[in-house]
Amino acid sequence: MTEMTYLRAISDGLRNEMRDDDRVLLMGEDIGVYGGAFKVTDGFIEEFGADRVMDTPLAESGIVGTAVGAAVVGLRPVCEMQFADFVSCGFDQIINVAGKMYYRQGLPVNITIRLPSGGGFSGGPFHSQNPEAWFMHSPGLKVVAPSTAEDAKGMIIASIRDPNPVIYMEHKNLYRHVKGEVPEGSYETPFRARVAREGNDLVVITYGAMVHTALEATADLDGASIMVLDLRSLVPLDEEAILSAVHDCSKVIIVDEANQTCAAGAQVAALVAERAFEDLDGPVVRVASPDVPIPFSPPLEAAVLPSVERVREACRQLLEY
Amino acid sequence: MPQMGVSVAEGTVVQWRKQRGDWVQADETICEISTDKIDTEVPSPASGRLVEVLVQVGVTVEVGTTLARIATDARPGQPHSSEDERPPAPAAGAPAPARGAAAVAPAAAARPAPAPAPAPAPGPRSPASRRYSPVVQRIADEHGVDLDEVEGSGRDGRVQKKDVLAWVQAHGGAGAAAVAAGEPTLHTESPYRPGAGASLSGPYAPPEGRPLSRMRQSIGEHMKRSLETAATCTTWIEVDVSRVELARRQLGITALPLIARCTIGALVEYPLLNAWLEGETHTVHEQVNLGIAVSLGEDGLIVPVVRGAQDLSPEGLGRRIRDLARRGRARQLSPDDVRGATFTITNPGQFGSMMATPVIAQPQVAILDVEAIIKRPVVVTDAFGEDAIAIRPMVILGLSWDHRAIDGALAARFLASVKKRVESYEA
Repeated sequence: MTEMTYLRAISDGLRNEMRDDDRVLLMGEDIGVYGGAFKVTDGFIEEFGADRVMDTPLAESGIVGTAVGAAVVGLRPVCEMQFADFVSCGFDQIINVAGKMYYRQGLPVNITIRLPSGGGFSGGPFHSQNPEAWFMHSPGLKVVAPSTAEDAKGMIIASIRDPNPVIYMEHKNLYRHVKGEVPEGSYETPFRARVAREGNDLVVITYGAMVHTALEATADLDGASIMVLDLRSLVPLDEEAILSAVHDCSKVIIVDEANQTCAAGAQVAALVAERAFEDLDGPVVRVASPDVPIPFSPPLEAAVLPSVERVREACRQLLEY
Repeated sequence: MPQMGVSVAEGTVVQWRKQRGDWVQADETICEISTDKIDTEVPSPASGRLVEVLVQVGVTVEVGTTLARIATDARPGQPHSSEDERPPAPAAGAPAPARGAAAVAPAAAARPAPAPAPAPAPGPRSPASRRYSPVVQRIADEHGVDLDEVEGSGRDGRVQKKDVLAWVQAHGGAGAAAVAAGEPTLHTESPYRPGAGASLSGPYAPPEGRPLSRMRQSIGEHMKRSLETAATCTTWIEVDVSRVELARRQLGITALPLIARCTIGALVEYPLLNAWLEGETHTVHEQVNLGIAVSLGEDGLIVPVVRGAQDLSPEGLGRRIRDLARRGRARQLSPDDVRGATFTITNPGQFGSMMATPVIAQPQVAILDVEAIIKRPVVVTDAFGEDAIAIRPMVILGLSWDHRAIDGALAARFLASVKKRVESYEA
């Protein structure tokens, strides 16, 4: 075990797979000579060469399209979108080509697309979004979102090995703020939910950076016993873990950093309403960003993103219900 | 420490360009810092006198840490009142000082008072007006709790899950021994009582008998009539279900629909077994109406019918069997659901039993019994004709057949056909 940041854990996982498997290659904007906008691939081009660490033009559609072709002939490309926000330029290749290839032609598309996502640092409307729900709505894609350093490494490895196109959401605000013990060598973290804290009065269901917000908000809440469930994977969604948590706790808060309408949490809320009705002891409560672009202004941004205080207040209200 | 990039969390002071006591203009470089992405100069956020340097050269601190303090109400060339640590507290009602130290974190804006909670309904709620959440109603139903008696600790006296659980724990639910929902008790009283009590040698007083239920009577009459009517024989065959086990795991269903599918194939091949014998009349069916025996526990069993089973895939059969079994257990089957079977499968093997001699459901001519799938050492022959001992999941199929309608050779050929289909199963 070595202590490292979430960002280093992603690098470590990528490096492991590149060393173990010649089929793995990286593509993205400024990921080679510059080492990536966030330095995730710092030093990779020196170790693996420009054939496997490819600096691409600023054209997300080209990056994804090329990767799909490479996957069809047996390679395992990992694409970096410089910011998750820019993925919309590659949308058609992901939705209509990568996601449907297996259904149309029986060809697996073993690609991983890394999306540095999320706000909290005045990145403004083009550098702060959480677009995971766009991909949840499209068949043929998996969507995962680790919250810890250990999961970040285990899930990038599992994503690369998964034969499906995997959208890997990595939260920029966790890059250097979250550290943890990370096992050496190769290991896969399953695409299943994880109980971040046990509890039985109420469950907060969330993923990504909001796991840390939820843990902080509920660490000491008037002595209540609060479970925090880290989904880790949005597609496939770990329905069993969600229903089991709702059965045990009966009160549910779902936190999304993304804009509220049709966010991942909306799917969780629908599942709970449909399959856990007789376990509920109160309304299903959602905390999310309102349906506005993420503001640049720091006070406005702080007002938009779900805060520790907002989550705590929602928990208090529901506990009293 | 300013945020120099979206993901930069910390920085190191490399050099101070201004020293304590120096005058500094807004946007003038005050120090140099280094982060893991860039090295850069830090502009002063305000004009004033540098009164305190808080982070020394070479020290690494998190983004947001105060590096230094600048007195913004100082005047160039004049000593500053900040030497006097404590400014006099403003008198009540006096205007607050308009200017302070720029680098000090801005005083937290007074948090707006939380919106007042909606006023509670006047007066306590009458029990009749209470509404309960689904989980509270479910627990109350399971334990026979009258919710009017439960005091609520939630908003406006609402009964919460924990209230009804506490009530059940304190009072015991009517007719329910479990303390919490769905949890069986861990300890049961031993029936053994030493000392006084019934003497072992005393006369035995049998408990009072009760009449059989209607269902038991009906099953009994039917079974007795079958044994009196048919010339029942039973033939067994042992079958390797490795391929069926693999396929059922891939499909996520039980083995029963797959074995049923193979049986239906054999019935189409040997239609004499897919038949009725009523008196002297032997009716051979083309359509397979497959009866599936569903246990209702101690109450008895019921045999719902999958009609036109020859046209169904294993998944389709599985769905129909599940649906019929569910409705059977919920006592929701209609008379049409249990009439007209041409052949029956019974499947009591889930408890581990190995062999049975099932009784034919009249007027059918045969019934197939599927027993437990058990791993056994068996002799297998490889592609080169070499024998080896392998561990294989095996099942014994028992066919009870009516010797009035068919003979043992046909029963054996039918079973061999089922065996061949099961052992060569392709998903």
